[in-house]
Amino acid sequence: MNRRGFLRVATGGAVGVTLLQAEACHSPLRQQKVANDVTPRVEIPTTCDMCVNKCSMIAVVEKGIVKKLNPNPENPKSKGMLCARGNAGIQQLYDPARIKHPMIRNGERGEGKWKVVSWDEALDFAAQKLSAIKEKYGPQGTLWSSSESFQEVFFRNLGQAFGSPNSVRHPTLCLASVNLAYSVTFGTVPSFDVQNARYIIMSGANRLESFITPDTMDLVDATTERKARLIYLDPRFTKTAAKADEWYPIKPGTDLAFILAMLNLIIGENRYNKEFVSTYCTGFEQLAEHVKQYTADWAAEETQIPAKDIQRIAREFADAAPRAIYYAGRRSSWSRDDFSMRRGQAILNAIVGSWDRQGGMVPNAKVELGELMFLPWDDPVAPRVDELDKNFPLAAKGDGVYLKLRENVLAGQPYPVKGWMIYKQDPMSAIPEQEKTLQMLRQMDFVGVIDIQMSDTAWYADVILPESTYLERLDPVEMLGGIRPVVLYRQPVVKPLHDTKPAFEIVQGLAKRLNLFQYFDYTMEQWIAEQVKTLPMDLPLEYLKKHGVYSPAEYPKYGTTLKPDHRFVTKSGKIELFSERLQGAGYDPLPVYHPPSEVPTGKFRLVLGRVAFHTHANTTNYPWLSSFAPENTLWIHPKAADSLGIGAADRVEVASGVGSVRLKAQVTPKIRPDCVFMQHGYGKRSPWLRLANPGGSDAQLLETAWDKVSGGAALHETFVKVRKV
Amino acid sequence: MKTIEWQYLIVSYLFLGGLSAGLYFVSALTELFRKDDDPAQEHIARIGALLAPWPVMLGCTLLVFDLGHWYRAYKLFLHFRWESPMSIGSWLLMLFIGISLLYAYGWVPRGGREHFYEKLPRRLRFLRMFNVDVAPWRRPLAIAGLPVSVGVAIYTGVLLGAVQSRPFWNTNLVAQLFLFSALSAGCAFLILVLAMRSREFEMYQFRSLYLLDVSFLTLEFFIVVPYFIHGELSVEAVRESLKLVLGGPFTVVFWVFFMGLGLVLPWAIEVREVAPLFLTHVQLLPRMRAATPTLAGASVSVVSELSAPTSAKKLHFSRGWAVAAAVLVLVGGVLVRYIFVFAGQMSAIR
Amino acid sequence: MATRTKRYALAIDAKKCIDCKACVVACRAENGVPVGKSRNWINEELHGDWPKLMAVFEPEQCHHCEDPACVRVCPTGASYQRPDGVVAINSSECVGCRYCMIACPYDARFFREDLGVVEKCDLCAHRLDRGELPACVETCPSKVRVFGDLNDPTSEIHQLLEKRQYRVKKHEAGTGPQIYYLL
Repeated sequence: MNRRGFLRVATGGAVGVTLLQAEACHSPLRQQKVANDVTPRVEIPTTCDMCVNKCSMIAVVEKGIVKKLNPNPENPKSKGMLCARGNAGIQQLYDPARIKHPMIRNGERGEGKWKVVSWDEALDFAAQKLSAIKEKYGPQGTLWSSSESFQEVFFRNLGQAFGSPNSVRHPTLCLASVNLAYSVTFGTVPSFDVQNARYIIMSGANRLESFITPDTMDLVDATTERKARLIYLDPRFTKTAAKADEWYPIKPGTDLAFILAMLNLIIGENRYNKEFVSTYCTGFEQLAEHVKQYTADWAAEETQIPAKDIQRIAREFADAAPRAIYYAGRRSSWSRDDFSMRRGQAILNAIVGSWDRQGGMVPNAKVELGELMFLPWDDPVAPRVDELDKNFPLAAKGDGVYLKLRENVLAGQPYPVKGWMIYKQDPMSAIPEQEKTLQMLRQMDFVGVIDIQMSDTAWYADVILPESTYLERLDPVEMLGGIRPVVLYRQPVVKPLHDTKPAFEIVQGLAKRLNLFQYFDYTMEQWIAEQVKTLPMDLPLEYLKKHGVYSPAEYPKYGTTLKPDHRFVTKSGKIELFSERLQGAGYDPLPVYHPPSEVPTGKFRLVLGRVAFHTHANTTNYPWLSSFAPENTLWIHPKAADSLGIGAADRVEVASGVGSVRLKAQVTPKIRPDCVFMQHGYGKRSPWLRLANPGGSDAQLLETAWDKVSGGAALHETFVKVRKV
Repeated sequence: MKTIEWQYLIVSYLFLGGLSAGLYFVSALTELFRKDDDPAQEHIARIGALLAPWPVMLGCTLLVFDLGHWYRAYKLFLHFRWESPMSIGSWLLMLFIGISLLYAYGWVPRGGREHFYEKLPRRLRFLRMFNVDVAPWRRPLAIAGLPVSVGVAIYTGVLLGAVQSRPFWNTNLVAQLFLFSALSAGCAFLILVLAMRSREFEMYQFRSLYLLDVSFLTLEFFIVVPYFIHGELSVEAVRESLKLVLGGPFTVVFWVFFMGLGLVLPWAIEVREVAPLFLTHVQLLPRMRAATPTLAGASVSVVSELSAPTSAKKLHFSRGWAVAAAVLVLVGGVLVRYIFVFAGQMSAIR
Repeated sequence: MATRTKRYALAIDAKKCIDCKACVVACRAENGVPVGKSRNWINEELHGDWPKLMAVFEPEQCHHCEDPACVRVCPTGASYQRPDGVVAINSSECVGCRYCMIACPYDARFFREDLGVVEKCDLCAHRLDRGELPACVETCPSKVRVFGDLNDPTSEIHQLLEKRQYRVKKHEAGTGPQIYYLL
């Protein structure tokens, strides 16, 4: 065959092959294949971990690959739903930017140079460092910070067994005020029976958008199917505002004025539940006297809500009782007086008698779980570094007060803290005034991080101990108390993809090397076996493996505490409208209104909030979720934007007293003219989290401020200047 | 989500397809009604026939490459779905390409054809079986191909007009508009080629082309007018969609460049060129009226009377103006398709 | 129009929709839809001026019309309608001409440049055939969507549409859409 002929055949063949190839590789996208598992299709129930709501779901696994996460209808709280984040759990598992091996820093802190090491080497390193710090500074020289997880208990136990009193957790940035306020009033933090309520008032608590939760579903159900009325107060026109019957763009920080005016009217017009108050409450006379000064006209001035509306709402609220709730909210980290506001709420809810009634507040029921017995360790000797007893005597000890703690650590007072173990937490993104957090990281002798992704905090670690994701782990059984308590099971649906371990095994590894293994000398299976011993079915473990969740059928139960001889967990044994405990600690026994600081001219109050498709800062690198907001924008009212010459989609610089960021402006009428808003979790510095890099970090802007009583961070007390760039 | 899926490749194809259809139509019409003693008419028919197949074949190539799966194009011919204008169109195109190639083959000069087959290399000598004289089939092919060419020109408009969800298109006038635009493009292209290449003839001898083009442009104009009148009196969706050319982004390109420069101006140039014909031959009119009551008959007799070599004066038609008018018509043809394809996809029922 | 034994349809109570995007992510996960395109979406409309604002959130996807324009115009028959009313695409027959995308009054279809074919919501036909609900319906936190067989008088959707008033979108297009928006 001559050259021409050969070319003809070759090209013909090439064309043919290209055509065939083209047909063949146009098959739907498939995730990375794992060679060893050939089971065709199996559905495994487990519990979601994309946020704290712990919804039940079923993982569909085909040939060892998780294809889809479906809701599990058997959970009466999550009611057969799975939100955007739950569905995106697959991206957490298969995230190419996950930390795949233990790593030790191989350059300067923050340089991003890492050496991949074996687990032995990583754990040896961490244990050595911790021991060295214990030698030099005592065990209190270490800080153990963690966020909620089914396995958190092991990490916390390790910290305590190590001898350190310094633990700090998420509530200090979130729930501290509301938890404390309701505890002080009722002796416990109740749940709200949203589904059966008929009149619901919400301050902020953007329940229909922020963090899709079981309450979200109940609220939709209540307002659309059961004709409940929703009154919503928020400086922003959020999705909840869009669905509410009435929305008031309340002046930020004045919610307590609204509540006090409601109390004033309800008591003044005798619309409160006299029988309930006399049987179960103390301090009513002092309350009645105290609220006389807080008239609706006065509140109208403060809140910028018309007086007649405040009065009408108060009447409607009282009339709807006991199916009336002033929803407590979850994130109560707005202002320095947040605690007082939540106290006001609790008192308001109390006097209309909705306690332990259908459609009102219900103390959490629980299911008792067994406990594995092991050797107790000695209690830590040293006092906490944030000096809670002195500064925040009522704050939850285990949770700590992050901002005061950081202040003290930076000052080296009352003693130096030089080691920091962090589990499932990203302080760089989560705490205000990022500059200071960075300083704190830098001044540590040792920073050890247990996490699944290279967060901005992990970026500054000395050693990273990668945890397996929730889809790869067997976790302790978790009991979630509430109006309908549930027992949740989490089992692995695939084998770990990378060289990662569950936190429990990491803790065991460290414990071995720190001579603390005797406190962790058991297996996860043994731990779980003890837990499920108290469950009523014959083979509880089999049941949980099959169903993923157990909820006793006898709930909801109302009125279990409505017996005249019931003792509330308060000093007086009653619901404390007037709180002696607060008085004893030197705080106002009844909520006293302090007006919020005025917004300086030419500045805006920065307000924060959450969205339905992200969990705080930790999901902003998942494409399925970030596609809804590739970067965060600054919400600014058109009037304000005009006066600053800012047009739609212009870039702006936002500057506070401690930092500045640049991001895109979003000119929208959905926010008060004196406020600006930005989403959380963007503007990250870690190059591994490419999708989270755009935009600006609110942590860099927020100034350090905390609630006077609970110590909870006050995240709406920052005023910023905005200018076009 | 709203995206403009059909873009420049489709605009080009619609134009090229219409151009081929117009070329064929004009060639076939000229062939059927010419007198043997008018060499200019035969020249028009020949050039038109030889040119006709190529624009549409180029257009089809572009079309195939616009597909998501170009190598699956053959699947279009495994089905005939009469409800799908695209299916009908695919088959029509194949038929048209076949007929127009055959028709063109009938116009290849005999000498050239014989020479080509003689000079074939030994390996390709089997192709000599195609050395057939198709010239005797010119007229039957012209007759057979006329409806097919009309079909090709119209179906490009039906493709758009059949889509209810695009109010800018959803009128049967779009098919007519594209038809007459295609036919006039055929005339214009021929005028252009002949003006630049055929030195052995005077432009005056191609006056039938001018007359046809004027007729087609006039018809086109009187389709655009009712398109707007009916549209403005129609449902809200249509009125909304017309705003795209009445103040919207396509206003200038439609009124200035398409209507003004692409339709009215070339029409005026051509009318000015042919006007003397009517003025000097005004006595022909009563004879025509008597002889031919029907419109078809009248147009035929106009063509034949005006192309009669015995007409009184030989007028001079400028080549320069011919080129100018032709180019304007062709550009207008591209623009009207560009406007319709893009604006149509931007329109929607609210 | 064929008389069908089953007629699948979707009823949407937009009052309940909170634009949480769960349905969009669930669909993406279930059907491998690349980021940047979507088989379903939520229309947001903001009305009014500060401070009297109103917003409506309305989910939408292919309406699986009774007289689908997309099926009619497809030159190869790649777009077809199942007996149960689901409008589906046989990807291996699709040549990617995108005529169907233009014919759809709802812009419900999109082009997959990476695959060279057109794609859209198919009501998770593979799930329906297993007796499951479409992913978007199953996952919705607010229970916005009711899916079922219109021809079954005992089905929830049938009874819902008997009790409640509803509207469809772009009725004038004449395609007979089968997503019913409850009023």
